[in-house]
Amino acid sequence: MITVACESKGAAGAEEWIRKANSQYPSLIDERHQVAELYGTRNVPALFWIDEAGRMVRANDPVYVTRRNRETGETTVNERYLNAVRDWVAKGPQSIYVQDDKAVKDHLNPPTSEDAQAMAFFRLGVYLYQQGHAKDAVAHFKQAHQLKPQNWNYKRQAWNLGNIEQDYGTTFQQAQQDPASLPFYPRLDLPEPSPS
Amino acid sequence: MTATILYQEKVTAVPRAAMTGEDLWLTLADLAVATEWEMKPEGICRGELCVPMPEERAHSLVRGQGADTWFNLTEFARHIEQGYAHDAAHGVWCFGDPAWEWKSRLATRMAPDFTLADLQGDRFSLAQFRGKKVLLALWASW
Repeated sequence: MITVACESKGAAGAEEWIRKANSQYPSLIDERHQVAELYGTRNVPALFWIDEAGRMVRANDPVYVTRRNRETGETTVNERYLNAVRDWVAKGPQSIYVQDDKAVKDHLNPPTSEDAQAMAFFRLGVYLYQQGHAKDAVAHFKQAHQLKPQNWNYKRQAWNLGNIEQDYGTTFQQAQQDPASLPFYPRLDLPEPSPS
Repeated sequence: MTATILYQEKVTAVPRAAMTGEDLWLTLADLAVATEWEMKPEGICRGELCVPMPEERAHSLVRGQGADTWFNLTEFARHIEQGYAHDAAHGVWCFGDPAWEWKSRLATRMAPDFTLADLQGDRFSLAQFRGKKVLLALWASW
């Protein structure tokens, strides 16, 4: 397993969660959202299964395998998804949960020129924030949001670096009502386990 | 005027940058330092890659001669379909990936490689896990 924190606050933002997970696997920090850009993801969580040959066999699943409640410290496990992962580990390409070429493609968002331009605005915003100019970053984040309203990573990250109401004049609920921003999550097409 | 240029991984302060309208001009020397692009007989080159000089745009891309040659980085960005953004108040320019880098992304099932550091600063690449199954999870605290 490799986790990538899409976290423009860097280690400071991700540290608490990584330490609590106390995992043996690499927990990486991605301030510029490079991996999100490379994999065309628009929201978190986004999970990919990659086989031994480096090919994606499941793309862009909007699930957390385990989820930790910040207040209670309680961890819930997505058993159905975890069983799917176990099935793949055991059966490899024979697993019913492995996606074919078409299904992988259907779950990916190949980049457009709007994505390329939106990323330049987003990166500029992240840089200004990191230099201590959080307020000046807002205008550039807004440009990214306008160009790619479906990109919830850009929205949620930007709101996290500022104040959603004061800086962006909206609320999470209002933003979710914008039809241009949908879907909030891609479809999770997880087959039913075969009766056995 | 000083321009701070973010070019892929690199951040460079260029004291001697110029603007015409919304466009950013650098001397060839600064261009090489900030972006690794250089003008050669083959065209505009970065390492092994050369972009032939687009003759119809040459006059808007390059001005001056010899030691006083200036290059229009924003015009070039438009030519190679590279997104860019500018913050006038702080004199910061951010350039994204050129067309040949982003256009072919996700055209196949190959999982894109990347290299990132963990909390300890140790760097990991996806490629080093070839031969194993990998569950790659993108997450955030927000």
